Amino acid sequence: MTLSLTSALRPFPALSVSYVERRRLFFILMTLPAVIYVLVIGVWPLAQGIWFSLYEYNLLKPARTHFVGLGNYIDLLSDTVTRGAFVNTVIFTVGAVTVELLLGFAIALALWRDDRFNRICLALILIPVTITPLVVGLIFRALLLADYGLVGYYLAEFGLSDPRGLFANPSSALATLIFVDIWEWTPLVALILLAGLKALPGDILEASEVDGATALQRLRIIVIPLMLPSILLALTLRTIDAFRIFDSVYVTTGGGPGNATNTLMLHAVKQGLEFFNIGRASAISNLTLICIAVIAAGFILLIRKADRKANGR
Amino acid sequence: MSTRTLSRIGERSFILVMLAFFLLPFLWLASTAYKPSRDIFSIPPKLTFPPTFEQFATVFRLFDVWSLVSSSLLIAGGSVILSLLLGVPAGYALARSTSRYAIAVAYFFMAIRMVPAVAALIPFYLMMRDIGLLGSWVAVVLINAMLNSAFVTWMMFSYFRSLPKELEEAALTDGCTLFGSFWRVALPAVRSGVVASTLFCLMFSWNDFLYPMFLTRLDSKPISVALLSAYGTKDITWGTLGALAHFSTIPIVLIVLFLNRYFVQGLTKGIH
Repeated sequence: MTLSLTSALRPFPALSVSYVERRRLFFILMTLPAVIYVLVIGVWPLAQGIWFSLYEYNLLKPARTHFVGLGNYIDLLSDTVTRGAFVNTVIFTVGAVTVELLLGFAIALALWRDDRFNRICLALILIPVTITPLVVGLIFRALLLADYGLVGYYLAEFGLSDPRGLFANPSSALATLIFVDIWEWTPLVALILLAGLKALPGDILEASEVDGATALQRLRIIVIPLMLPSILLALTLRTIDAFRIFDSVYVTTGGGPGNATNTLMLHAVKQGLEFFNIGRASAISNLTLICIAVIAAGFILLIRKADRKANGR
Repeated sequence: MSTRTLSRIGERSFILVMLAFFLLPFLWLASTAYKPSRDIFSIPPKLTFPPTFEQFATVFRLFDVWSLVSSSLLIAGGSVILSLLLGVPAGYALARSTSRYAIAVAYFFMAIRMVPAVAALIPFYLMMRDIGLLGSWVAVVLINAMLNSAFVTWMMFSYFRSLPKELEEAALTDGCTLFGSFWRVALPAVRSGVVASTLFCLMFSWNDFLYPMFLTRLDSKPISVALLSAYGTKDITWGTLGALAHFSTIPIVLIVLFLNRYFVQGLTKGIH
């Protein structure tokens, strides 16, 4: 009797020890489905991939499956095709991301002022980001084809490219792929940097203008240091995406001519789903995964450091 | 004054040049769809042509366009719904939980999104083969929803974290249940975040061709895979491909143009 009386007198019967427990349980129940789902559909296959990579495992010769330990990895390190794919991936990533950052920053600066013209232009400039990578591949095949392509025809006609087209020549194929990536993803970089620009504190910029700093000085001394977190964010996102490039290469060159545009992810797909060499393909995937993890960890540390410097956090 | 006007003119012309650079290639492919076949293969390439719909007629003769589009819709719609159902509550709980594991779990979801799609493909392919789902669109929905729900969780985590807690605390004191305060107070407050997440998932699933290429069969393949298979065939012209590409790009471009505000917001807020 007294017990029920005191509990009825308490203003919020819910705010008790049991409430804290219930709250915890509620949060766990809300998170659990997503965690379980990602573990089963995502992490389990990845773990299996590690397992597969330790075996000589070919779907076409299931009887010859046997444990080889790190054998697949050791083979890969001495394999010239894999090494070539690694070099191509690095060249592709560095080339594409550098231009995307510089061009994206220029576009963001030009769109900085908030008016109707700039808003409409931003929306239209984002179109390449939204269209299917496959169609992006189609677009550039159609444009650069040496016989019927609008650009390719004139390039070949004036001797500026291989008469068979830019994609057909080993020395220009990778550069052309970098160009395609720049076309597709520069708008995204511009958008991230523009958001960073708009978040800059207006009073500091105004004060520096009153003090008579030139536009270039302001850019170097104030804008770029304060923008460092956004710049690093764009850099991280694009580097990770470029490093796992697959779509546009598969669609345009398929890794050729020869192995001139073979990338790590393309190499893995070919080994796995064309030659059914599961052990080898898993080892290539895992090596790529390690590279991405290292790149991501490095950049995330840099971002936190820059954030602390810029915001004093 | 004059230097300011000059720099303004410089800015605008730079933007117009960039606009041309980013739009013209796209418009070129789109325009081939309205060209008579002989004008597509003219040497040198022609800029003017009498417009025609013959390419669209060919597309409808060669492809079951509606079945391709509806497969795409089924795959994109299914994975978007599943990933929102899983990701939004998880993002909320992680943002509001005071547990020290919450941040670690949130970072785990972000890390999952960084894994190259190919890395999970081969084991996932074998798994679907073993349970008999290979060849159906369900397999594509399952894996897309995995990648998307990780992304949604991370994005909603950032959105809910920037929302003041006081709103829900007030609702709780007024006698709302825990779920009620999420559903009726917090969720409506981050509508724009939900729209942005939906847009990104929709774009990703609609544009994806890697998973459907290896996981679907003839009757369940989406338009992206049809485009790819048509692309390598000799007897299909650029005009046919341009016309087919209309069906795979226009829906998504229109949606993003209309919801452009959320797209921009989502990118700048959700990723940070």
